[in-house]
Amino acid sequence: MSALTFTLKKSPASKLDCRQLTPNLLANLTIAEIKNIPLSSQKNAPKVADFFEVTGDDVQTIHFNNATAQLDYIGHHMTIGTIVVEGDCGDYLGANMQGGTIIVKGCANDRLGDQMRRGLILIDGNAGDYCASRMIAGTIGVYGTLGKHVGFAMKRGTILLTQTPKLHATMQNCGTHTLPFLALLFRAFTTLPTMFNTIQSHRVQRYAGDLACDGRGEILVFSSR
Amino acid sequence: MLINGIQIDDTFAEAFNMRGTRIIITAQNLKWAYHAANAMTGFATSVIGCGVEAGIERELSANETPDNRPGVSVLMFAMGSKVLMQQLETRMGQCILTCPTAAAFAGITSEDNISLGKHLRYFGDGYQTSKLINGIRYWRIPVMDGEFLTQETTGMVRAIGGGNFLILATSQPAALAAAETAVEAMKQVPNVIMPFPGGVVRSGSKVGSKYPKMFASTNDAFCPTLKGLVKTELSDEIESVMEIVIDGLTFEDIAESMRVGIQAICNLGVASGVGRISAGNYGGKLGPHLFKLHDILSEKTS
Repeated sequence: MSALTFTLKKSPASKLDCRQLTPNLLANLTIAEIKNIPLSSQKNAPKVADFFEVTGDDVQTIHFNNATAQLDYIGHHMTIGTIVVEGDCGDYLGANMQGGTIIVKGCANDRLGDQMRRGLILIDGNAGDYCASRMIAGTIGVYGTLGKHVGFAMKRGTILLTQTPKLHATMQNCGTHTLPFLALLFRAFTTLPTMFNTIQSHRVQRYAGDLACDGRGEILVFSSR
Repeated sequence: MLINGIQIDDTFAEAFNMRGTRIIITAQNLKWAYHAANAMTGFATSVIGCGVEAGIERELSANETPDNRPGVSVLMFAMGSKVLMQQLETRMGQCILTCPTAAAFAGITSEDNISLGKHLRYFGDGYQTSKLINGIRYWRIPVMDGEFLTQETTGMVRAIGGGNFLILATSQPAALAAAETAVEAMKQVPNVIMPFPGGVVRSGSKVGSKYPKMFASTNDAFCPTLKGLVKTELSDEIESVMEIVIDGLTFEDIAESMRVGIQAICNLGVASGVGRISAGNYGGKLGPHLFKLHDILSEKTS
């Protein structure tokens, strides 16, 4: 079995809604049925086959090739499996995610991991504004830079960063630490194609928040790459 | 049966069904992993008075543990699942949570899971956080040395306790030296522990007593100082008897450890002062598992 692969054939003029293309929703569908899935909720919405070449058969591992920032809602409400995005992706990546793993080799846009409850999202590139907004739990890693309002209204969960972003006053500095659970987390990363595997030291600056919203989430910034 | 001049009695050890679990304890270094594990397995020699029987199974190198730190694996056995759960939680809370740099992980998988850090997490007073990594839930509890990390549950399996053999020697030092040799060899066998101090017990017991409130008392038939007073099992030259008790995950594990231990003693020869090897039983009527010494030593562990 090879990964189910969606290769973008042409750059879409408008945003495409990819929320239907998750391992849990595609399980038990034939390739023909997958090709017929609409890419928005509008009337006369474009179908998967209009924009993507669909190959492979393992729906537990989904690849998006030639991906661009026009692809929104990748991994939305995902519960199981793995999604690998070769390229960039649009807004709401992994929003409401309930489990599984998303790897993005390029950059992600705004509202990455919005209301995410469980699972792992790792971005090799940069991410936009409101990263991890309203996050309930889970783990998000952004190797590059971040936009504004990171962790806005996050309740729990962990955000792994390599650079300190501009933080709200409701994100509190808890000092520099060597956290034992990171050894387990990074051991789990070793099977994944992510830039986080290049991080040598598990020493982190810990910020807790959002204190306006329970404050049990955390932002961990690695002191050296 | 005679091996190297040492007589092996045609008898058997009688063992019981127990519930068992394995916990992996890691720390900054082996020294602190041992401090934690020694505390956790302290006062855990016999279910009669301690609730559980526990011991260190073996040392683990950094690449054998979940968090890449050195550690030890601990086996713990109890007569029932309820006691095992209670004892594990108490010992986790008082011995592992308290020990600097220590962390605890499940050492065995099973359909039955019992709490490792599931309830201990409330020590965090609301600041505890969980992490689900590769489908396994861990708890991070803020403590004064940093963060205490523990897996939520560990597996509980059916196990066997009470495998044993007796070392009958011409002097106390000879019996102890032989017992030490046996325990060192038996420590190399996986899935078993010898829960008594140093792996050796000198106060073997029989069922019942002349005192109505006592349900176990000294095994007078094997007490050398009572040779003329009771129906003794000892011949004239035997002056000291020591017992090694073994708990293990399966019948085969216990049989193998008994074979290894007895063989190590027999290798010392009769010049070591050991005259006989026997075993403790209750006539075969109480325990469902019988470890027949002759069968074990001829490697027939049926």
